[in-house]
Amino acid sequence: MLIFRSEDHIDRWCKAWRLERGETLSLERTWQLADAWYRDRMRADWRRRTVDETHELFRSLGLTTDFWRFS
Amino acid sequence: MDNTLPPLDNVRIPTVMSDDFKNRVRVRLYQLFLEFGRCPCKAELAADLGCSAPDIAEAYHELAAAHALVLQPASGEVLMANPLSAVPTPFAVETQGPTGQRTWYGNCIWDALGVIAMLNSDGSVLASCGCCGESITVGVHNGEVSSHPPGVVHFALPARRWWDDIVFN
Repeated sequence: MLIFRSEDHIDRWCKAWRLERGETLSLERTWQLADAWYRDRMRADWRRRTVDETHELFRSLGLTTDFWRFS
Repeated sequence: MDNTLPPLDNVRIPTVMSDDFKNRVRVRLYQLFLEFGRCPCKAELAADLGCSAPDIAEAYHELAAAHALVLQPASGEVLMANPLSAVPTPFAVETQGPTGQRTWYGNCIWDALGVIAMLNSDGSVLASCGCCGESITVGVHNGEVSSHPPGVVHFALPARRWWDDIVFN
């Protein structure tokens, strides 16, 4: 996951690497995702989320397209 | 034909590694990472936990199989204790700790912000545009994120493909 100056820079990067465009998130949304994903990582009771739990986390952040589904 | 048995010290007796031990390894790895300001090696973690380096290696492999760690392919040392990277990356993270400023590395922009979240700290990510290389500094202060210049984040691969090649991703 990379950061770019603009959507145009993402398009140029995808073209240069011959990659299909993925999904773009604002920094605010990425921060919300990072906070939700990692804030408890050092805790002794941390465990990997199940697929359903991960889908629910994504849904709570408005990430509801197939791009954000594991299955 | 050599029928000599190997010395007992060199024989690894297969054991079922407990989830409790693996979790102790995982948690202590993160704690020592923060304490040292770098990723501990297997020998350091083994000495700290009073076990052997092969015990740590076995725990690492099981944690990696569960996608809780990513290992370096040759040495078997940690590459990623997400969100932290054990090796320098283009996503340097600066945070302010009790002993002053600390520098970490995230595996990507998501993980770099994750370092700040995990440490429950203010901080900055010193990154650059994936296309043109222009410097982009992302700051988190009191839970609010901002960047200079403005930036957007691109997720190239869909979630179902993230672990196909986690190093690329």
